[in-house]
Amino acid sequence: MSTDDLTEDLTRNTANAPPELLTRSFFFLCAVLSIFTTLAIIALLVTEAAKFFSVTAPLMGIEGETASVVEFLTGTEWIIGEGKFGVLALVTSTVMVTLGSAIIALPLGVATAIYLSEYADPQVRSLLKPALEILAGVPTVVYGFFALIYITPALRTVFPSIGTFNLLSASIVVGIMIIPMVASISEDAMSAVPDDLRQAGYGMGATKFEVSTGIVVPAALSGILSSFILALSRAIGETMAVTVAAGAQAKFHNPFNPAAYLDGGSPMTATMVNLLTGDITGGGLAYRSLFAIGLTLFVITFAMNVISELVAQRYREEY
Amino acid sequence: MATEDRRSYADGFGQVSRTVGIIFRYLLLAATLFGIAVLAILLVYVANDAIQPLTADAGWHLTFFLTLVLPSLATGGYLAWSNVDGLKLGAMTLGLFVVGLLFSGGVAIIFLEVLPPLVWFAYVIAFAVPVAVTVGLQQRSRQIPFVSRFALATLAFYLSLFGFPGIVGSYAELPQLIPSVATLILFAPIVPLDWIQLTLTVGVFAATPVALYASAISDRRTGLIAGAAALATVAASAVVGPAVVGVGPIPSVVLASVAVLPTAAYVCGTAVTREQARIGLVLPVVIVAGALAGEVLVDTLGYAGPQSWVDWQFLTSDHSGTAANAGLYPAIAGSILLMLTVAALSFPIGVGAALYLEEYAPDNRYTRFIDVNISNLAGVPSVVYGLLGLGLFVTRLGQSTGTILVGGATLALLILPIVIISSREAIRSVPSEMRQASYGMGATRWQTMKNVVLPRAFPGILTGTILALGRAIGETAPLIMIGAPNVLYSFPSELSSKVSAMPLQVYSWASYFATNDFYEKAVPAGVVVLVTVLLAMNSIAIVLRNRYQRET
Repeated sequence: MSTDDLTEDLTRNTANAPPELLTRSFFFLCAVLSIFTTLAIIALLVTEAAKFFSVTAPLMGIEGETASVVEFLTGTEWIIGEGKFGVLALVTSTVMVTLGSAIIALPLGVATAIYLSEYADPQVRSLLKPALEILAGVPTVVYGFFALIYITPALRTVFPSIGTFNLLSASIVVGIMIIPMVASISEDAMSAVPDDLRQAGYGMGATKFEVSTGIVVPAALSGILSSFILALSRAIGETMAVTVAAGAQAKFHNPFNPAAYLDGGSPMTATMVNLLTGDITGGGLAYRSLFAIGLTLFVITFAMNVISELVAQRYREEY
Repeated sequence: MATEDRRSYADGFGQVSRTVGIIFRYLLLAATLFGIAVLAILLVYVANDAIQPLTADAGWHLTFFLTLVLPSLATGGYLAWSNVDGLKLGAMTLGLFVVGLLFSGGVAIIFLEVLPPLVWFAYVIAFAVPVAVTVGLQQRSRQIPFVSRFALATLAFYLSLFGFPGIVGSYAELPQLIPSVATLILFAPIVPLDWIQLTLTVGVFAATPVALYASAISDRRTGLIAGAAALATVAASAVVGPAVVGVGPIPSVVLASVAVLPTAAYVCGTAVTREQARIGLVLPVVIVAGALAGEVLVDTLGYAGPQSWVDWQFLTSDHSGTAANAGLYPAIAGSILLMLTVAALSFPIGVGAALYLEEYAPDNRYTRFIDVNISNLAGVPSVVYGLLGLGLFVTRLGQSTGTILVGGATLALLILPIVIISSREAIRSVPSEMRQASYGMGATRWQTMKNVVLPRAFPGILTGTILALGRAIGETAPLIMIGAPNVLYSFPSELSSKVSAMPLQVYSWASYFATNDFYEKAVPAGVVVLVTVLLAMNSIAIVLRNRYQRET
């Protein structure tokens, strides 16, 4: 008999007493609120975005200016004044910040995880872990300011052509910001690798380096991958740092062209903030475009979260 | 996890090719330190810009070096060498005092600018009366059935807060027949002075734990004496503060209750219970005395201090078009109010959801769906939550833009998944034997939660909530989305007034007032204040967690 069944048995007589019912339904409502939040987000983004596109706007009873879905998804220019809503101009900047931050955060995060899980002694660990948490605890607007005031001028000594607002400095701070996320999830996965595997490795004459890279990392791969996806999804949704550091001018870049990082751009999140801080009228096309970007952003991050969950489940090795 | 075994094996076998292993090890260490080092350098830069320590006279540095740095280092070094527990105790005491100072600053701002002490006093009494009624009813729980007790308690709360017929009546335009307790006090012809009101409320709130703590380590009589002494200290501070230090009576009472009392109680308590470590209490004494002595010496010798932008003027004035006069005061007040709103909304709901999922929910498809849903919500970007606040609270529910209520509710939704996840972990870590023992004694589920699970899980829940609150007050994007004003000159006075917040103010200085003047003065100063507050919150959470983990 499991403990749940035991609990069930022991509390059956009192389970429907008024105080029990009252507290239980309150707790239930609290838990259901999370589903309500998700539904509200989806419903809101979908209805408002529907008012934005010309295909769906008539269904919502909207007359006047709308934008075409095809142009939204394939256009490469985002100029509100001219009615050009090409989300690719924003997505490419987002992709660049995400790629740039990944180049910094993924190797450093995994290295940190290996060090904390395999090498650091408990004393060092107890110092390093809170220090890493602080990296994630500094407000993102502060990171943005750091990028703008300190990192960009420092980069200018290396790349004289770098703009005041540039994607490189934004990528660097976002990368630093997401290191703790990669490190802590990967480290959890590595500490979950059973010790027998390590001992077997040592028994075969492997060195600690070989055990760490050849046994622990492959065994923890599912956790490491899911930490990558979660961290990248966090980088995509990162707002204030990129708003302050990357600028407000939407430009279409080739994400794989390193020189483009020296130029500014306006990732999706930054565009949303700038739309609202600029003067847009409630209910206008620019206002509705906000929700269209929001929907795009939500779909991307939501998909990545789900994929990360699936990766963690699918490739989890049961020990 | 058998880390110890693993290490001893590893050391034996690591002899084969040392070079690669050593290089790899140091590469990993360098990677670990990279992010921390970059952040540390950036923080040093921003602190230098904000505080400008190099503008002080050499004599100023020398004086403080001799009175503060040298004695502190000597005491600290001696303790580290002879009595590490003592060093930890000294550091804890100092930390407690500093955190208490920060908190009392926040509480004092609320009483000075936002909430008049009389209103606060009236509502505390209006709450205390029905709470007393409820407790009285609870004593007679055997004679009166739960439903009647619940109805009576609800009635008591309603009458005390709203009177009869109260808010329900005001919709139907009925005349108010019986005034509420709150109204009675608010319009009473004679009310006690504002510092007496605060002593009776905040002072009592602070003295009660002191009394409980004292009776826990000694006996009931000592507890009562300690509590009375604490209350007397608070009352005395209202007289001593203005006369000696030159602080007004309201800040004095708050300072005494929030910073002095907890520190004093901790010092007295540990001095009695931890004889081995109590020598460490010398450290905070040396540091505080050194700072005071340095201040006096610098004043008499006439050395000028650094031209810091983080000064009293910055903390207590409004925004201004010129960077040197700009201040953070309304934004600080806004951040505090937002934090209170977010905590009030997210704590009960988050803990409730965690209790349901851990203790009640059957293991079926719906529960797993809620589960997956919560972890997905934790990954939704904060701008999207801002859109939710804008679309749901502002557009659909007709709230005005940028109010405390809308901002607080949006941020509460944002941190709710984090609160739920960390509370669940804390609740899960309570051993199930304890629950079974409670059930075996005939306790119901709710009694078990209330008396067994929640007290055990509370430190963990608190840690998670503090970390989440830290995240909430560092957020800017959702506030921008819900239309919080960039610049606020007036103080928010109720839940429906416009609110600014520290990160938002820093952002508007960095983007709308993007002149070198602001970049060099106001923005670094704002960043330093913001980071200090967040570091303090993170350290509280980390210290709490370390203590809690040691106990379980």
